Amino acid sequence: MLTLAWSLAIGGLPLPVGSAAGLPRSPADQFGEIFLVFAGLGTLVGIVVIGYTLLNAYKYRRGSGNGEKKDVVRPELGEKPGGGGGGKKLFLSFGISAIIVLSLIVWTYSALLYVENAPEEDITIKVEGEQFSWRFIYPNGETTFNELRLPKDKVVKLEVTSTDVFHNFGIPDFRVKADAIPGQTTEKWFIPDETGTVQAHCYELCGAGHSGMDADVIVMEQGDFEDWYAGTGSNDTQATVGGDAALAGGDA
Amino acid sequence: MSEHGEGGHLPPKSTVTRWLVTTNHKDIGILYIVTALFFLVAGGVLALLIRVQMWTPGGTILSGMGYNQIVSIHGLLMVFWFISPFAFGLANYVVPLQMGAEDLAFPRLNAVSYWVYLASGLLAVVSFFLGSSFQGGWTLYAPLNVPTFIPSVAQIGSAAAILAATLFVASVTVSSVNFLTTMYRMRAPGLRMRDLPIFSVSIVLTVWMMLFAFAALLGALVILSADHILGTTYFTNEAGGALLWTHLFWFFGHPEVYIVFFPALGIMAETFQTFSGKRLVGRKWFILAMILVALQSFVVWMHHMFLTGINLEVKTIFMATTIGISLPFDLMMFSLIYTMIKGRVRYTVPFLFNLGAVILFIVGGITGVFLGAVVLDYQFRGTYWVVAHFHYVMVGGATAMFGGLYYWFPKIVGKMYDRKLGLAHFGTYFVGFNLLYFPMFVVWDTPRRVFEYSEGFTFWHRVATVGAFLLAGSFLIFFYNLAKSIHSGDPAPDNPWEYGSAIEWSIPSPPPIENFPKGLPSYTSGRLEFLDDEEVATRSSGAEPTPAAHADGGTATDGGTVSASTALAQAPETSMETAHVEEAHADHASWWPFALGIASFVTFLGLAGLQWEYFLWPGLFAVAFFVAFIGIVGARRDGYSPIHSLFVLLAIGGIMAILQLLAIDKGGLDAAIAGASPYFYVTTLGAFLGAGTLVSMGWESFQSPEPALAEQWPFSKVGKWKLGMWVFLASDIVLFGAFIGSYLFMRVANGWNDWHHLIPEEHVVLPGLINTYFLLASSFAVVMALEAAKRTDRRKLLGWLAATFALGVGFLINKGLEWQHLFNLHGGAFEGGWGITTNIASSTFYLTTGLHGAHVIVGLLITLFLIARAWKGAYMGEEAAGTVEYFGLYWHFVDIVWLFLFPLFYIV
Repeated sequence: MLTLAWSLAIGGLPLPVGSAAGLPRSPADQFGEIFLVFAGLGTLVGIVVIGYTLLNAYKYRRGSGNGEKKDVVRPELGEKPGGGGGGKKLFLSFGISAIIVLSLIVWTYSALLYVENAPEEDITIKVEGEQFSWRFIYPNGETTFNELRLPKDKVVKLEVTSTDVFHNFGIPDFRVKADAIPGQTTEKWFIPDETGTVQAHCYELCGAGHSGMDADVIVMEQGDFEDWYAGTGSNDTQATVGGDAALAGGDA
Repeated sequence: MSEHGEGGHLPPKSTVTRWLVTTNHKDIGILYIVTALFFLVAGGVLALLIRVQMWTPGGTILSGMGYNQIVSIHGLLMVFWFISPFAFGLANYVVPLQMGAEDLAFPRLNAVSYWVYLASGLLAVVSFFLGSSFQGGWTLYAPLNVPTFIPSVAQIGSAAAILAATLFVASVTVSSVNFLTTMYRMRAPGLRMRDLPIFSVSIVLTVWMMLFAFAALLGALVILSADHILGTTYFTNEAGGALLWTHLFWFFGHPEVYIVFFPALGIMAETFQTFSGKRLVGRKWFILAMILVALQSFVVWMHHMFLTGINLEVKTIFMATTIGISLPFDLMMFSLIYTMIKGRVRYTVPFLFNLGAVILFIVGGITGVFLGAVVLDYQFRGTYWVVAHFHYVMVGGATAMFGGLYYWFPKIVGKMYDRKLGLAHFGTYFVGFNLLYFPMFVVWDTPRRVFEYSEGFTFWHRVATVGAFLLAGSFLIFFYNLAKSIHSGDPAPDNPWEYGSAIEWSIPSPPPIENFPKGLPSYTSGRLEFLDDEEVATRSSGAEPTPAAHADGGTATDGGTVSASTALAQAPETSMETAHVEEAHADHASWWPFALGIASFVTFLGLAGLQWEYFLWPGLFAVAFFVAFIGIVGARRDGYSPIHSLFVLLAIGGIMAILQLLAIDKGGLDAAIAGASPYFYVTTLGAFLGAGTLVSMGWESFQSPEPALAEQWPFSKVGKWKLGMWVFLASDIVLFGAFIGSYLFMRVANGWNDWHHLIPEEHVVLPGLINTYFLLASSFAVVMALEAAKRTDRRKLLGWLAATFALGVGFLINKGLEWQHLFNLHGGAFEGGWGITTNIASSTFYLTTGLHGAHVIVGLLITLFLIARAWKGAYMGEEAAGTVEYFGLYWHFVDIVWLFLFPLFYIV
C-alpha cells in the first residue's frame, strides 16, 4: 500500500527536464525544483524520524511503566554478547527508507541526463581561472577580465580551465559550476534568464586571494549584448567563425 | 637502559617516568585521550578564529594567507590528530578488556604508535612557527600543494605539515597491525569475532579500513614529499597531476570518514543497549551493515570528484555506490531507535550524548543524500552545504565519543563524574552545536574557505559564530568536570551501570595492571567465567592442537579453536618446554618507544627544511649509524665477539667514505659544511637517534606472553609475529599499489605510447634483468638460511645470511651504476642527464624503484642485525628460527614487488 502510494506521489512529480516553448529549461530552474522536493522531503523525514526517536526515548523512560513487558530480553552482566531479535520490524523500516532514497535518486537521474546532454549552444565562452582572477574569451577572440557579459535567454556553454592551480568557477544565481583544472577543460551549459549583474565566485581553495576571486556576470538584453559584442573582437578579425553565426542561431 | 629487571616494574602513576615508559594498553589509552583532547583544543581555537573572521563579510582579523593556514590546519588537526586518536584512546583502554586479553599483542609497538602520534602532532603545530604553515586546505589539493605554488615564507612550514601527516600515517599503520593481530589471536575462549561486544566489532572493522586506506594516503604523501624534497614532477604534471592527487587522496579520504565514525557507531550501540536496558535490536544485521559499509567505503571516492570532468558512466556508477552506502546506515539508525522500545531508558549523561549523536547523525545523513544526487551535488560543490553536512556527521560522531568517555570514565578513573556538570555540558554543547552548524545549511551558498560572502548571509554567519563560542564554552565545563571528578568524584563500583554486560563491568574500577584478578576470562560455558590457573592448565593440556585435529575444540565454539601451548611458544626469549600453567612474566615498561618518538620528531623536522642538494647524505649516515649501533648494542647485549668490532669498524669506514664523497660532491668539506642549512644537521641527528633507538629496541628483552587459552580462528596456526608480518605486508602491498597506480595513471594521461619519448635510449632492460636475478637468488638464499636455522646449523645460517646480504648489496650496486649512468647522459635528447626531476617518466621511474630500493636497504640492515645475533647463537631450532622466517616473508615480498616493477618500468 505504502509503496503504491509512494510511487504515485513520485510519478506525479514532473520529470525535471525541458521544455518550455522554444527555450530549453534552465538548469537553475531544474535545480530549484529538485532542491525544493529534497528539502521538503528531507525535512519531513527528519522531523518524523527524530520525533519518533525522541518519543520513544521519552515513552520508555524508566519508571514510566511502559517498558515493563514480560518478553523483553534484558542484558545481564557476564552474558555472551547477543542480539535482541526484532529483525522483521527493522527490515520493514529499512525497506521503506531505502525505497524513499532510491526513488528520489532515480528521479534525479533523468535530470542528470538532461544536464549532461547539452542542447545546442548559442554561444561558447572559454573561462580561464588564474590566481586570482577570471579571464573570459569570447568566440571572436575578445578577452575580458573579471567581467562576463552574457545575452539573456540564450544557451551559454562554458569551457572552463585553469592556467595554474585547481579553481572552480560558479555562478550561484544561474546554478552553473565547473572545476577549473590545469591541463584539462570541463564544460557546462546554462541559461541566464534575467538581466542584471550577479556574481561568480571561486569554489576551490586556490591560494591567498581565493576569498576575493570573484567576477561580475552582466546579463544584457539580446539586442544590447549584440551591440556590445559587435564592437569587440580581437585585432586580427571582427567576424571569426561562430561570432555572429553563434548569436543568430539561437533566435527563432 | 630498560633492563629486563626494570622492565616488569612500572613506577606508580603519580610519577612522570611511569607515563614515559609504560606499554600497558590502559595507560596508553589514557595518554591518547588526553593528547587528543589537547589537539581538540588547538583545532578548536583555530575554529574560533575562523568564526571570528566570518563575523563580517570581508573578514575581520586575518589576512588571506593567515585565514587559509588556519582553515587548513584546523582541518588537519581535527581529522587526524583529534578524532581518531580519541576514539583509539577509548579503544586501547576498552577493547582488550572486552576481549578478555591482558594487553595488545605488541605492547611496545603500541607505545611506539602513541609517541610517534604525539611527535607528528607536535610537528604539525610547530609548522606554524617555521615561517608559515600549509595553506592549501586539509585536502591538500594539487598543484597548490607543491613548492611552485607555495609562498616562499611557507615552504618549510608546509613541508613540515605534510611530513607530520606522513609520520602520523606511520603511527596509524603500526596501530592497525597491532590491533588486528590482537583481535584475531587473543580473544577469550568462546568469543567468536561476531560475539565480541559491539564496540569491539566496530573497532576491528575500523582497523581493517585503516590498514588499507592509510596505505593509500601514505603513497600520496610520500609522492608529495618527494615533489617537495626531491623535486619530482608528479603533481605539477600538466596532463594529470591535479587529478592524480584527487584520486589518491579521496581513495583514502572516503574510507577515512568511516574510520572516524565507526568507533562512534560502536559506542552508540553499546550505550543504547546499556541505558535502554535492552539488547541491541537486530544485532547481527547491525554487524552485517557495518561490514557492508566497510567494504563499500572503498568504492565511492569519486563522489568527491563529480565536477572534474569524469564521464557520465563513471559518475552514474559512483552515484549508485554512494547511495548504496547510505542504506546500511538507515538500518543501523533504526536498530538503535528500536532498541529503546520496551526498554527502561535512563537519561544518564553518556546516554544523552549518544542520543544527541544519533539525532545529529540523522540530520547529517539526510543532507548527505542530497549530496549523493549528482545534479544537486554540482551546485553544492565547494559550498557550506558540504561543510555543514560533514560537521554534522563527523562532530556528531565526536558527540558519541564524548558520551563514550563519560560511559567508561568510572572504569578508567575509579570515580564517578559529576552528573550535574555533565548535564550542563550536554545542554550547552547541544545548543551550541546546532547554533553553529545549522545556519550553515541556511546560507549554504557561501563558498568554502572564503570570508568575503554575500551581505545577506551575515546574520546567519553571526548566529554560527555565537554558537561556536557556546560550543567552546561547553568544553570548559567538560574539562572542569573531568578534572574535578578525577580529584574528588565518588568512588565507582565495578559496574556503575545497570545492564552493563560486557567483561569490563565485571572487573574492578580501575582494573589492576593485568586486568582480570579473578582469572582468565572464558565464555566457553556460554556465560562469562574467570578460570583460575588450575582450570586453565586442565583445559590447555586437554586441547593440545595437532595439525589435523585443531577443528575439534570440543566446546561451544562453532568453528573456533582453543589453542594452547603454541601461544606460549611465540614469545621470542622465553624458554618453553611444556605448556605449563604459569604465564611468563609480562613486561610493561620500555624507554625505547619514547626515544623513538623523539627521534622521529627530530628527523622529520629536519626533513622539512632539508635542501635538495643535501637530501641523500643523512640517509647514508643513517645506514652507517645503524651498522655501528649493531656492533655496540650487540656487544653489550649478547656479549662481545669480534663480529661486533667488525661492524663498528665498517661503520667508521663508512662514515669516512661518506664524508669523502660529500667533500667531493660539494668541493671540499668546508664548502659542504658552509652550504648545509641547520636542517641538514637536525636530520642527521635524527638519523643517529633513530638508528640507535631501533637497534636497541630490537635487542631489548621484552616479554609479552600470549594468553594460555584463546579463540583464534582463522589464525590459530599462525603465530602472532607471523600474523603481524602478514598484516603489515598487506598494507605495504597497498602502498606499492598506490605507486604503481600513480605510474599507470600518469602514463595514460600523458599518452601511453608517447611515454617512450620521455625516456632515453640508454635506459635499457639489462640492468633491470640483472637485478631481478640478484633478488631471486637472494630469496633463495633466505630460504636456505631458514632451513639452516631450523636444523641448528649456525655456520650455514651465517653463510646464507651473508649470501643474502651480498646479493642485496649487488642489487644496490648495480642499481647505483645504472642510475649514475642515466644521471650523467650527454648528448641526445637528454643533454643534462635523465635525473629525478627531468620529466614525469623519470620521476615515476626513480621514485617507484627508489621506494623499492629503500625497502631493500631496510631488509639488508635487518640482515646485518640477524647476522650479528646469529653469530652469538640465536635462531637455533624450530621455534627460535621464527624470526628468520618472518624476515624471509618480508624479503620475499620485496622480491615479488620487483617482479611487478621490472616489466612496468623496463619492458612495456
